[in-house]
Amino acid sequence: MAAGGKTKFVIPPFRQSQAMDEEYANRTWQTLHSAIHEIHRQNASGLSFEELYRNAYNMVLHKFGDKLYNGLVETITLHLRGVAQEVAVAADGDFLPQLKEKWEKHRLSSIMIRDILMYMDRTYVVAQKKVAVFERGLQIFRDEVCRNDRIKGRLLATVLDLIHRERCSETIERGVIKTVTSMLVELGQDVYQRDFEVPFLEATADFYRKESHECLAQNSASEYMRKAEARLGEEHERVTHYLDKASEGRLNEVVERQLIAEHMRTLAEMEHSGVVPMLEDDRIPDLKRAYELFGRVTSPDGLGVIRELMSGHVKGRGQQLVAEEPGAARDPVEFVKGLLALRDKYQSIIQGAFSGDKTFFNALNSTFEYFINLNQRSPEYISLFVDEQMRKGMRGTSEDEVEAMLDKVVMLFRYLQEKDVFEKYYKQHLAKRLLGGRSISDDVERSMIQKLKQECGYQFTSKLEGMFMDMKVSADTQDKFRAANGSSKVESIDLSVQVLTTGFWPTQVSGGCNLPAPVARCCEVFREHYLKQHSGRRLQWQTSMGNADLKAQFGASRHEINVSTYMMCVLLLFNDNDRLSYADIARDTAIAPAELKRTLQSLACGKFKLLLKEPKGREVDESDAFSFNASFSSKQLRFKVGTVSAQRETEAEKHETRQKVDEDRKPQIEAAIVRIMKSRKEMEHNALIADVTAQLTARFMPHPNVIKKRIESLIEREFLERDKNNWRMYKYLA
Amino acid sequence: MDPVKLIASDGTEIILDRQAAMVSGTIKSMLGGPGGYVEQEKGEINFPEISGKTLEQTVQYFYYKLRHTNPSSNHTLPEFKIEPESALELLMAANYLDT
Repeated sequence: MAAGGKTKFVIPPFRQSQAMDEEYANRTWQTLHSAIHEIHRQNASGLSFEELYRNAYNMVLHKFGDKLYNGLVETITLHLRGVAQEVAVAADGDFLPQLKEKWEKHRLSSIMIRDILMYMDRTYVVAQKKVAVFERGLQIFRDEVCRNDRIKGRLLATVLDLIHRERCSETIERGVIKTVTSMLVELGQDVYQRDFEVPFLEATADFYRKESHECLAQNSASEYMRKAEARLGEEHERVTHYLDKASEGRLNEVVERQLIAEHMRTLAEMEHSGVVPMLEDDRIPDLKRAYELFGRVTSPDGLGVIRELMSGHVKGRGQQLVAEEPGAARDPVEFVKGLLALRDKYQSIIQGAFSGDKTFFNALNSTFEYFINLNQRSPEYISLFVDEQMRKGMRGTSEDEVEAMLDKVVMLFRYLQEKDVFEKYYKQHLAKRLLGGRSISDDVERSMIQKLKQECGYQFTSKLEGMFMDMKVSADTQDKFRAANGSSKVESIDLSVQVLTTGFWPTQVSGGCNLPAPVARCCEVFREHYLKQHSGRRLQWQTSMGNADLKAQFGASRHEINVSTYMMCVLLLFNDNDRLSYADIARDTAIAPAELKRTLQSLACGKFKLLLKEPKGREVDESDAFSFNASFSSKQLRFKVGTVSAQRETEAEKHETRQKVDEDRKPQIEAAIVRIMKSRKEMEHNALIADVTAQLTARFMPHPNVIKKRIESLIEREFLERDKNNWRMYKYLA
Repeated sequence: MDPVKLIASDGTEIILDRQAAMVSGTIKSMLGGPGGYVEQEKGEINFPEISGKTLEQTVQYFYYKLRHTNPSSNHTLPEFKIEPESALELLMAANYLDT
């Protein structure tokens, strides 16, 4: 109470109102005692709060707090013993309601008693560090009623039985359980946990252990998971309806362990309904459920189980896809399309069912990386696929679709370990497309190269870009030549030349050929013109890469035929002769035998039979003879004779490409070794190998033995030396 | 809400707003508790140990407190005058009433 004033402050001496003697204290206590008794009997209407409060106040004020407090505890204890007795003898059906009623009554009386003894709570309890009146009342209830020998076990059993019955889909009165649980919580979290939660969780575990085993034996995985999901939902509802919130986590853990964690493997690997069949049949909702259920389990890693199965399955699928059937050649387009379809399928599954989980994408990627590299021809096939798309596949598709397709191909490319092999093939295929003018769109070609550049950097694509540059420069050169020459025609032959930079383009080993005299003169004219402008350069004719348009008269019909340079050489021979043997042709054209055979095969055995072969047959032999097919006819005025080319490389070519690739790798490995050693000066063998591998993985996977050979070569050439004391240690020699 | 009647030792009766009476913790639980005590039924409370004068001043303080709790920003608290002679008795009453 605020007090203040400027007037003179006089405090009258304190008069002890009346010294309270023992007897008075007893009397006062008696009043209070009987009042408490009345309150316990819910019969407080006749009592005066003020009087009781004043009595308690006076007792505390006159140092009888101990008497009051102890008296109170004793009174409550005695009362509750009686209550416990009543509850204990209640019939089964009446037991919980009885307890509930007693508890509610006790709670109410405790509040009332607390109110009249408020003064003691405020002073005596604080000073003596006792338990406050209301809390003490709860403690006594806990000890005398809840933990009464004849009540405790029965209470627990009754509640657990009710819950069990509800789990077996009986309807129970949830309100009673709610009262019991909130009573226990109010008596203290530890009481709730010790007296109820722990045994409850044990019972839960038992229940679900049994149920899950039965359910597993009778149901498919997806059915089981649906049930498990429903059970988890029920348990969640249970918590919100009549358990304490704090139980939710622990209860979930128990249920998850019993329903999911214990059976993850069994479930996921179930034969006709596990994760693998789900993946196969694209059962997105089932997979989603599995993802959510397994995701709840963190140890052991639930999602890991699914991930592992998915990887394993994709791996199996992929291995089938990339396997080379002996004898039968794989169609590269089908090969890549298969891979893309597989990848699309799993991408959409991960997006749809696994909420785009990054770890799943990583698993998918590493799986693809694994099996794509199982087939040594993957780089070739992917490049061939792009080739196919660039030649014809893109027609009728929008730009976006093309971009999307290229993106997917680049994704496959990313999985390749031997990116340099891909580069090699890509260069070959690109060269053919550019020189043959077969590419549908320059923009698409450029965008593909741009994508590769983003993946592997400038170095990777510099040569590819150089090829494009050459094509552009060639067009200019051609214009200049035409201007200087007056026309692009030399002796009525229209000459078009592409000047290619050595090094950018794949070198063709197959040698040249004897060009027919007029063509050879043409070339000479161009050479003179070109060297006049660029002195010091050397021109080399790559006859294997050219093509020619011929006008030909077959009996009555005239045709314009587009053929390769080799074919032109062969056909022009027949201007002077009607029949030539293989040996004659070989001698006059000087084309390498393998190429010549292919050329002749295209001319005599292909779709357009310009030559007749004797004897007839599909293969060309060195003893064959050829004659001009005068009776040739075709509906088309213009046509093109394609070279019978093994689109796929032959074994020999493949071997050759590999050798070339290996040869190209040597300087790259050496460069990497030198780069590393230059900065480190000294390094141990294994560490060096690891570093070199790390530097080169963007392009290919060097084999340790290959690296070792390079190191030895570098030692020989005195770039490095071995340490004298430790032969596994290398030193850099500046 | 119904007003409340407080009766002092000398029979002085003071009728005041329930809200004001509730400033005292003791009166608050007398009137607001769950149990049906006499005071709650009748709406009047006897204080046989508090004099009429003290009770009157106490009630004045109830209203003073009610008005000046949570004041608006530029509010100056007026003085609550207490005669020094009655200070002790008021202190006792305040302790009793948990004010």
